[in-house]
Amino acid sequence: MKFLIILFLFSQTPEDQNRRCLLCHGKKDFGIMEKGEFKSLYVSYKDLKQSVHHKFTCVTCHDDVRVIPHLIKPRKIHCLQCHFEGNVIGAPVREMPEKYKESVHARAKKEKGKKAPDCYDCHGIHNVRGPEDTLSTVYKENIPETCGQCHKKERDGYENSVHYKGLKEGVFESAVCTDCHREHDILPPEDPRSTLNPRNVVHTCEKCHADVKIMKKTGVPVKQVEAFKESFHGIALEFGVLKAANCTSCHGYHEILPSTDPRSPINPANLAKTCGKCHPNASQNVAKGKIHVIPGEKEAGIVYYVYTFFKIFTFAVILGLIIHIILDLIGRFRRKEIAGE
Amino acid sequence: MGERILRFSRSWRVQHTLLMVSVILLVISGFSLKYSSTPIGRILIFLEGGFEARGALHRISAFLLIFTVIYHLIYIIFTKEGRREFKALLPRKKDFSDFYKSILYDIGKISERPEFDRYSYREKLQYWVISVFVLIMILSGIILMFHDYFFRIAPKWLIDLSLAFHSWIATLVIIFLILWHLYIVHLSPGNFPWNSSFWDGYVDEEWLKENHYLEYKRIKGK
Repeated sequence: MKFLIILFLFSQTPEDQNRRCLLCHGKKDFGIMEKGEFKSLYVSYKDLKQSVHHKFTCVTCHDDVRVIPHLIKPRKIHCLQCHFEGNVIGAPVREMPEKYKESVHARAKKEKGKKAPDCYDCHGIHNVRGPEDTLSTVYKENIPETCGQCHKKERDGYENSVHYKGLKEGVFESAVCTDCHREHDILPPEDPRSTLNPRNVVHTCEKCHADVKIMKKTGVPVKQVEAFKESFHGIALEFGVLKAANCTSCHGYHEILPSTDPRSPINPANLAKTCGKCHPNASQNVAKGKIHVIPGEKEAGIVYYVYTFFKIFTFAVILGLIIHIILDLIGRFRRKEIAGE
Repeated sequence: MGERILRFSRSWRVQHTLLMVSVILLVISGFSLKYSSTPIGRILIFLEGGFEARGALHRISAFLLIFTVIYHLIYIIFTKEGRREFKALLPRKKDFSDFYKSILYDIGKISERPEFDRYSYREKLQYWVISVFVLIMILSGIILMFHDYFFRIAPKWLIDLSLAFHSWIATLVIIFLILWHLYIVHLSPGNFPWNSSFWDGYVDEEWLKENHYLEYKRIKGK
């Protein structure tokens, strides 16, 4: 009997502490009726053991549970009860919660009292895993699904897109929600600081679309951003004329498709309609000629030849005019008109 | 000091001033767009009152230029003086030989100074080059300004082409104005620092004798 007691005492490892919780919460059908609805209180212990919090016990977070079984409903807990500056547990503290406070999500929740995601809605509750873990809710490939829990329409659109296709085909650089919207400091596009403010869109797309390595991998032309920035639309945007077209005005956003796709707004057959959003007379003619033109590059067609001709011609004109001036000066000098008697 | 001779009529000077003002405004407002990514471009756009004000200034100056061109066409078609000036500006065979002789004279191959009439090959080149450039600028500018209309009837590459022309011809205009026009009329020794005839119309008798001997002879021969 003594031996059994000793064995019992020695076996008080965290797992055993949790086992007491799991007597109830480990049962899949465990739950209560709340406001006439069944609320599951089941916790997948396997998820917890594989999470970043695997070495903690249930009561580390649910710290108001002192007696098991607990008689009252434990209070709602939050990540910030550990992840704050100066905590003694050693929970990592980074700038994310601060960034989150500014986001549309935090503000919708706080100012408007709406249902909007808090940390655990994206990171998971018991199954919190690091972003590099392929099973994590915030692993790149899983992000569309995570955001799509609420943003269903956007997710469906995105899943048709070339970005999603790239992701599924193993181009890991392909953009997911967070690459454009950011992660914690998601701001509304009206905010001038937002990555999706019309003024900033080109800089957001540029992160990948001006990157030679990524674009080479996917076969997408890399000079489009540069051409856009030099175009009238690009310059006008740079100077704050927000009605000028930015990338998304023509390419769309969630459901971005290549020009070869007949559903794409930049498919030659659809260009008249796309340009027509701002240029009321746009006809099939807008498809005749390149859109992102760099005059100094051969792909620009006739514009390239005109540009190259003028480049040489202008140089010749400068040279000719300077020679003329020099000849004139030589003549005047010879005749002592300058510095003459 | 010889007497002062009236070289440019009031109408001529008004046209020149209109052209000068509109071209200077067009150059400033146009090049601030072309070089908008440079600090100077940004400063110019700021001084012009912002990006959209820059566009408005460019268009207003363009209308001033078009008005000047129309004024000039009426002048050379419907006025006696205009027809005479235009005739004097028409290129002739003599201009080519004058040009050739001038070079030989400058490098000392011939010692005889070529004699010019009212407008030498220099002023004629100035007039015709600027005329052609202004025409191209107006045509390409109209396509750019009314691109919304041209989208209906013209392929997109025509607009890109107009932009290429507009930008390059503008560059040539400014090069030509500085290295040819300003040099021969103001900056060259003998005219430096400036020739005031574009403003008051008068030149010195000496100057006329030296630069436009045939015209000088004709006036004196009267």
